[in-house]
Amino acid sequence: MTLVWKLLRRHVSVAQLLGFFFANLLGMLIVLLSVQFYFDLKPLILGDDNGAIKGDFVIVSKQVGGISSDNSFDDEEVAEVRSQRFVKSVGMFTASRFKVYGMMGIGGGPSMGTQMFFESVPDKFVDVNSTQWKVTESGDGVPVVPIILPRNYLSLYNFGFAQSQSLPQISEGTVSMMDITLRFRGNGLEEYMRGKVVGFSSRINTILVPDDFLRQCNMRFASGEDTRHSRLILEVSNPADDAIPLFMQEKGYEIDEGKLDAGKMMYFLRLVSGIVMAVGILISALSLYILMLSIFLLVQKNTQKLRNLLLIGYSPVRVSLPYQLLAIGVNVLVLCLALALLFFLREAYMEYVWQLFPTIQDTVMWPSLVLGVALSLIVCLFNAVAIHRKVMNIWNRED
Amino acid sequence: METIELKSALPNVFLDRGDVESEVWNRDVTFRKGHLYLVEAASGTGKSSLCSYIIGYRHDYQGHILFDGKDISDFGVAQWTDMRQHHLSHLFQELRLFPELTAMENVMIKNKLTGFKNQKDIVQWFDRLGIADKMNSKVDHLSFGQQQRVAMIRALAQPFDFILADEPISHLDEGNSRVMADIMMEEAKRQGAGVIVTSIGKHMTLNYDTVLHL
Repeated sequence: MTLVWKLLRRHVSVAQLLGFFFANLLGMLIVLLSVQFYFDLKPLILGDDNGAIKGDFVIVSKQVGGISSDNSFDDEEVAEVRSQRFVKSVGMFTASRFKVYGMMGIGGGPSMGTQMFFESVPDKFVDVNSTQWKVTESGDGVPVVPIILPRNYLSLYNFGFAQSQSLPQISEGTVSMMDITLRFRGNGLEEYMRGKVVGFSSRINTILVPDDFLRQCNMRFASGEDTRHSRLILEVSNPADDAIPLFMQEKGYEIDEGKLDAGKMMYFLRLVSGIVMAVGILISALSLYILMLSIFLLVQKNTQKLRNLLLIGYSPVRVSLPYQLLAIGVNVLVLCLALALLFFLREAYMEYVWQLFPTIQDTVMWPSLVLGVALSLIVCLFNAVAIHRKVMNIWNRED
Repeated sequence: METIELKSALPNVFLDRGDVESEVWNRDVTFRKGHLYLVEAASGTGKSSLCSYIIGYRHDYQGHILFDGKDISDFGVAQWTDMRQHHLSHLFQELRLFPELTAMENVMIKNKLTGFKNQKDIVQWFDRLGIADKMNSKVDHLSFGQQQRVAMIRALAQPFDFILADEPISHLDEGNSRVMADIMMEEAKRQGAGVIVTSIGKHMTLNYDTVLHL
């Protein structure tokens, strides 16, 4: 290989390679930085909702007027909402139509109990590990029901009730460990189950259980199917869309503006990251173009040598290899340097972010790492194929 | 490879020429392994074309060329690479040496690919051909005659069933022609190979089995 390289390295332009190197480094760094920035800032915007409920959604209800008026959505209204162009999908809230009594205690200690209720939304709106989000059986054969609680229920207890009654405050972790006994009663039946809190949400204001489970319970403990839905959960394509509040106002529906704001912020973060990333990709693509031009020029200048090598028995694969290794080497160097620079830049801005938001959770670097490696692989593959094709042109005398 | 056959082969450029009188073109000719052939040609009769077709460099002809009965127009990249490395050696008329490499490097670039000869044999050839002192000189500092000898050594640094020597001695004196012919024939005999020499006038003095006029 050394003799072949000695031959083929002639006309390698260091200036062109450097041009590619710095342009690609800049492009790659911008792409990686945009992705890293997105992942680092996402938790700031989404707040402390640990993702029990998925991203861009809006909960819609009718205004409650008087005491007994029916404020549920009928099928026609649901269809109308579904047909709006900003709506990606619609989920209906299902409410429990039987009596639920919950009793809580830690480690079998003294418990307290309350009448309660359940609601459910379709599983696709719930962002809890799918193995956690289904009813299982405990060792003694009692069904265990996963529950998502509103975070402000816990705040209500901790800061309102517990303090005034001299009761201990409890953390989310403690609640998750609590034994909750549930008594279901209705339709002449009574059954006991266990509950387990698997997540908290500050974006959805109800006690959620799996959709399938609640429907089955409604069939068993209440008679017949109830098609009324008091609330709808909408997945929207763009939470910043003006059409959403306009439509809601026109229909007299209520939406939670605050939740829409986080959605809007996320949308803008995504938009800005996307634009920056596109610029990075553009620079990378242009730099790739420089590299390809440079290599094509090199192959062109060395056509005679390449042809002679082929004629004395070298295979196109073997003749392409030195140039492919050159391109791959430069790309790997770019990737390593871009990742190192990304690491230091991130350290710098995260220090600033931590000063502003000390509670922000630590985020990870692997998405940008994976993206960087994937981009590099694509570029390397593209280079390798292009070089081989160019050499094949010489083989086929099409140069 | 035992045979190279030409079946009514004719370069495309001769298609509209009605008066092609040749013992090779438009005829059935078979070159056999172990035999020695001289193809004598006048300028413009397609001598370089014939070599280019056999080495798989050009395909602009009518008719068929067969290696052991297999049509070479069906050969792929891997087959041609194998042919050029192990079965078919070609001493190009235009030499196709690499001017930026030394004489020895020009031979080694081939020998490293085939791993066929050891350094000692190669040095011996340089010695016999009277260019031992030029081994480490860059090829573009050598005369054409000296370059022809380097190209011959390179052509012999591989196993082959046939060697195709395209005007091998055009720039050599009688003495060097003799040595070159001896070395080539020794190696061909050792390998039991066929030899096809082309010439447009001056040719190696050898006991040719067949002389063909192109």
